[in-house]
Amino acid sequence: MRNRLPIIIAVLLSLLLSACAGTQNRHTDPENDPWEGFNRKVYAFNDELDKVVRPVALGYDKIMPDPFQRGVGNFFRNLDAPVTFINQILQGKAAQSADTFGRFLINSTIGLLGFFDVASRLGIPFYNEDLGQTLAKWGYADSRYLMLPFFGPSTLRDSIGLYTDSYYHPVGIYTREQGQWWPVVARGIDQRARFLDQDAELEQAYDPYVLLRDVWLQNRLYQIYDGDPPLADYDLYLEEDLPEPDSDRGE
Amino acid sequence: MKIPAKKLLLMFSCVFSISLFAQAEVDDPVSLVIKTTSSIFTKLDQNNEKYASDPAALQALVRTDLIPLLDVHYLARLTLGRAGRGIEKEKVDAFAEIMINLLVIRYSKGLLQFRGNEQVMVLPQRGELNEKLTRVRTRVKLPRGGEARIDYAFHKTADGWKAFDVIVEGISYVATYRNQIMPDVQANGIDSVIARLREGELELVH
Repeated sequence: MRNRLPIIIAVLLSLLLSACAGTQNRHTDPENDPWEGFNRKVYAFNDELDKVVRPVALGYDKIMPDPFQRGVGNFFRNLDAPVTFINQILQGKAAQSADTFGRFLINSTIGLLGFFDVASRLGIPFYNEDLGQTLAKWGYADSRYLMLPFFGPSTLRDSIGLYTDSYYHPVGIYTREQGQWWPVVARGIDQRARFLDQDAELEQAYDPYVLLRDVWLQNRLYQIYDGDPPLADYDLYLEEDLPEPDSDRGE
Repeated sequence: MKIPAKKLLLMFSCVFSISLFAQAEVDDPVSLVIKTTSSIFTKLDQNNEKYASDPAALQALVRTDLIPLLDVHYLARLTLGRAGRGIEKEKVDAFAEIMINLLVIRYSKGLLQFRGNEQVMVLPQRGELNEKLTRVRTRVKLPRGGEARIDYAFHKTADGWKAFDVIVEGISYVATYRNQIMPDVQANGIDSVIARLREGELELVH
């Protein structure tokens, strides 16, 4: 399994890139999504993948009792703590990193490997940081939208962050050392189950790809600004025009 | 990299708790938000069963207590963007009316999910009031734990302060809706969009 992965990825990418040549040339957001053609292909691929993943997530959601699902969510969220801690240090947030450290310690021990979020009950604040956010704070502020196979929406910067973070994330470390992917898959099911409620919204949208991109990018900005992002320039909304639909700019 | 599982709905939570700061104007944005949430949730608590079993009644409540706080025409113009410029006023108004209906339905559904012991905290005004754009920040405690941040964008009109955008966890209703509606109007025309929204509307009610 470990040896086959690079080949799988290479085949995947070549398929996607070859499919890129020719067909649709939509540019709904040239500034933030210059790779839209490619991203849409990956989105379509992920959609196909979802036909397998969604039933599993649905089954998980329906069968497993809520407390168990909460426990699983807590477990994975607790495993994010080391990455958050390191990036808080990198961003100079010493006091907050102490909270994260405390949370990890308490939840991993008293909270039984993180299944119980004892730290929140004790009132210790929860923070979420990763290398993508750190890079943004360090100056890599604007990054093009990049849809990843399996992982979903991202940006170029955040993909670099995700990959790097995986070297010191417990799940990433486990996967590399053991060659086992089941923790990643389990985490994927947990995440997918969280978004089941939003499925209808996405399906009914005029352009689900754009909706997902909008929602993800805006929320990402919210994370980078630690919950206080700037407001949009509403004047621009009245003046702005969309780029010409179906312009043939080539990939 | 994670999107919290918060809905893209406009949410007004129930019984609120807030540290009130004395406001100079009684109808400044922060006071308006406080008044409105308080009013809605008082009524909800008093007539719990009636509203749970009768969606139309809840929608009527939302219509009378919530909609007047919105500048729906401006919201419609922002959503249509430049695509709205060549369009007759009656059609923009028709579109605005559909937006009201959709908002009412969504609010009502959202309200039903947040009754109980949740709390909304309306944060005090930060900085000076800006008549073009003032932001009201609120925090909503979620039933499953954790907190959602919901902000409102207000501006001052001839009829006082009105809200024209809701931003849930950084996700702006106007920005998102706009990127769906504008291309649709450009490709299919406003009449087609209005007709389809009306049809969709009927489905949403049930």
